[in-house]
Amino acid sequence: MKAPLSLIRQLALSLELGGISSDSYERMVRQIVLVSERALRLTTDLSRTSRLEDSLFELEPLNPQQICEEVAHELAPLYKAKDREIRVSSRYRPILAVANKDLLRRILLNFGDNALHYADSSIPVELYAGIRNHGAKIRLGVRDYGPALPNDMWQRLKNTMGTHHQPLHTRPQSSGLGLYVAGQFAGAMNGSIGTVRHRDGATFYVDIMASRQLSLL
Amino acid sequence: MTKTPHILIVEDDTWLAEQFVRTLTNLKLRVETAPHALMAMDMIDTDPPAVLVLDVLLAGPNAFALLHELQSHSDLATIPVIICTNSADQLASEDIEAYGVRQVLDKTKMTPEDLVAAVKKALL
Repeated sequence: MKAPLSLIRQLALSLELGGISSDSYERMVRQIVLVSERALRLTTDLSRTSRLEDSLFELEPLNPQQICEEVAHELAPLYKAKDREIRVSSRYRPILAVANKDLLRRILLNFGDNALHYADSSIPVELYAGIRNHGAKIRLGVRDYGPALPNDMWQRLKNTMGTHHQPLHTRPQSSGLGLYVAGQFAGAMNGSIGTVRHRDGATFYVDIMASRQLSLL
Repeated sequence: MTKTPHILIVEDDTWLAEQFVRTLTNLKLRVETAPHALMAMDMIDTDPPAVLVLDVLLAGPNAFALLHELQSHSDLATIPVIICTNSADQLASEDIEAYGVRQVLDKTKMTPEDLVAAVKKALL
């Protein structure tokens, strides 16, 4: 939460100082709005985790591809403002998952927010849905492409980074709060979250139960 | 031809980097940005900055990897560094003293004037 709030504060302080062109003024105000919305999403999610144990979330069969499309659509303005792109990988065979639509949406929004920060502007962030465990699970993932490391530099950096290396499961701008929230939401749907670190970015994913409805048709 | 002295901001939040550039524009110096340490290393190799404004937690290698790299080159080890981070309270002075860091600015408390003052001081 520190990162978005610090940015909002810096922008607000500059606006207060004045002497800003009208173009910059409009851009800064827009940035404040978008960053505030991102911080609000996280705050709302966090308050929701505190009520998870008291609530029963309805699980229903839903189309994960459609959830991916909705999340990409919702994040598109923020991505565009940061000169980034988000897209959904196409899928030919339909799949169904058993999940709570709102919680699943929030998990992917969280991953999408996270990916935005680390994505390279030349390669779109990808949302995808696929089958795992021979059809028993559905995985929804967000793949970002960050700075690529040549092998020799990767090895050299691993050696030189010494005790200051960063844990693989968290991202530098994040305190892990977003992942905690996503993990809680996934757990409420009998699912789990995970991450794969690639040399040129990372994938954050959620595994949830697959619905057998399609196989009965 | 001698290149104009410039400030390099290494900050992975592009909007915050943009904000720092706006803040430092009045110093009439060239201000450049790098979103991660690897790009910063390349830029410093090509054109060493007069001052480095450095975030700690970056995508990919963090600030300490970059500082290690700078320290391994005698001509780059003396570049004044201003650390600008949300994690200022977690930085141990013994961790940064060895790198010749001139000042640590806490992003959660600093003002735009603090950044200008820190850069001016480092340029002296």
